Amino acid sequence: MSVLKVENLHVAVGGEEILKGVDLTLSTQETHALMGPNGNGKSTLLAAIMGHPRYEVTEGSITLDGEDVLAMSVDERSRKGLFLGMQNPQEIPGVTNSDFLRAAMNARREQPLNLFRFIKALEGAIDDLGMDENLAHRYLNEGFSGGEKKRNEILQMKLLQPKFALLDEIDSGLDVDALGVVSNVINDMRQGDMGLLLVSHYERLYKLVPPTHVHVLVDGRIVAEGGMELINKINAEGYEWVKELGVDIREKEEKQGIMLGVCGNKVTQ
Amino acid sequence: MADYVISYPHYLVLENGHIKDACFNELISYKDQTLTIKHQEPVQLHVVILVDDAEFSLNYNIEALAQVDVIETRILGGKAILKRHMTIGDGAIVNIFHENLSVSKETLVFDDQGTIARDAQVQFGYAELSDHSEEANFHYDLIGENADVRLRMAALAKESEKKNYTIEIKHLAPNTTGIMDNYGVVKNRGSMTIDGIGTITKGQHGSASHQTNKIIIFDPECYASANPYLFIDDFDVKASHAAGVGKMDEEHLYYLESRGLSKTQSMQLITYGYLKPVVEVVENKMLRERFETILAKVGGTNV
Ligand SMILES: Nc1ncnc2c1ncn2[C@@H]1O[C@H](COP(=O)(O)OP(=O)(O)OP(=O)(O)O)[C@@H](O)[C@H]1O
Ligand SMILES: [Mg+2]
Repeated sequence: MSVLKVENLHVAVGGEEILKGVDLTLSTQETHALMGPNGNGKSTLLAAIMGHPRYEVTEGSITLDGEDVLAMSVDERSRKGLFLGMQNPQEIPGVTNSDFLRAAMNARREQPLNLFRFIKALEGAIDDLGMDENLAHRYLNEGFSGGEKKRNEILQMKLLQPKFALLDEIDSGLDVDALGVVSNVINDMRQGDMGLLLVSHYERLYKLVPPTHVHVLVDGRIVAEGGMELINKINAEGYEWVKELGVDIREKEEKQGIMLGVCGNKVTQ
Repeated sequence: MADYVISYPHYLVLENGHIKDACFNELISYKDQTLTIKHQEPVQLHVVILVDDAEFSLNYNIEALAQVDVIETRILGGKAILKRHMTIGDGAIVNIFHENLSVSKETLVFDDQGTIARDAQVQFGYAELSDHSEEANFHYDLIGENADVRLRMAALAKESEKKNYTIEIKHLAPNTTGIMDNYGVVKNRGSMTIDGIGTITKGQHGSASHQTNKIIIFDPECYASANPYLFIDDFDVKASHAAGVGKMDEEHLYYLESRGLSKTQSMQLITYGYLKPVVEVVENKMLRERFETILAKVGGTNV
């Protein structure tokens, strides 16, 4: 069993404090759900755990089986068993998906995987995910549809076999059938010794992949914890109730879009 | 001088203007510095040009309706100058890959010119990863209606190399298309300028001129400049350009690193990806392998 521990984590982006003291302990074989209103810090927490250079940890600690994660480079964190399925996976021109996958698999092995075994593993995983085989030979995520990108994240998770998978809105962009397929793969993997942190706004995913723990993140802090009942409450009522706990929901100041009307008049939306 | 490996069954090796070696079929001939390719069947030809501290001119005459794939390997030394002119006839389909393998401590000069006639479809690939400074001018005129040219370059300037490129596609007939994508990488104290020029003269309605010029810089002492110019003298045309000089995309690096690839490995993969598509201009396994070997020079960064 492995333990990923986040303690009193404060994170700033561009000088602004987004996380204001988060505590979270994940063990393998547990599935944690992280919910919260838009823009309140869920992706920031995941990015800080993975080590995105723009997210500055100003206070607190992250450890993996007692080892200081914050002292590790991004690639080291990955090789130690952390995996982040991103909300918006990058498109990388000119780098074929299969070359990338092979490099990523080899990065955590002493001896490089031979080509035959790699192809077998890749084909198996592509098949399990019901993906189009051609996606392996295309450039990494370039021109992939929203759902194809998400499946490609899960493909990577399957091939890299992390200890902890952090999945950021993996269900967005997936159609109902694809969500079923992806959930099956996730459920398969959590039979083994893997811990999960799922970020999603929707009950739909949590019904397919039932969490053992639920956390609600508002304005950079975890304000409520529990089980499935919390998900049902949010599904029914939204987040208004957290205000009764004395918490402010962080609202984005939406910039008003200005659109040019047909006759050149400025039209505000 | 660098070695070369013949990569097509038909070839011509020219050393300081003399034929060193050749194997032609009846569709190919060479006389008075002019290489002529006739139409009838598709032809694949490897031309190797060796020039040692001198000036050499070569003309191609690709006749109407010819279908050719050409790999042109350029191995220049000293202060050599290469002038290359290409006449491409009506309806010809031409893919030509320029593989620069020159080595010199001096500045080399490349001057490629060409005219492209009606309905011809031409793809130019330029692999400019060689070890020297250079002044290069690639200029193609679209002189017949519906002529279509796509040019792609991958260039590397490293150590103290200075590479300056002026690349122009000029539309001198209606309904012509000119697209260029120039990608550069600059390392160490290297310097690179890419001036991309798209010119559409008056009356050439229905034409399209598009260009992308991008340079990635690796080190603080690099110099790079990417400048797009569009000179358009007709209303009914499409034109666009994108140009940029900058460091490697931080989000791209983070994505690859988050999968366990080291920073060096990630940078290498991204750079490869950025330069590699140029080899797709012609289908040739040997060329592809050579190019990938040479690409390794780009890696091993100390950033
Ligand atoms: N790279 C960044 N640059 C600037 N601001 C950022 C960056 N990343 C996050 N933020 C800001 O931090 C806040 C929290 O964003 P975060 O992405 O963590 O929200 P979230 O809870 O994942 O929201 P959502 O449910 O919409 O995905 C937002 O106000 C966001 O604009
Ligand atoms: Mg988010």
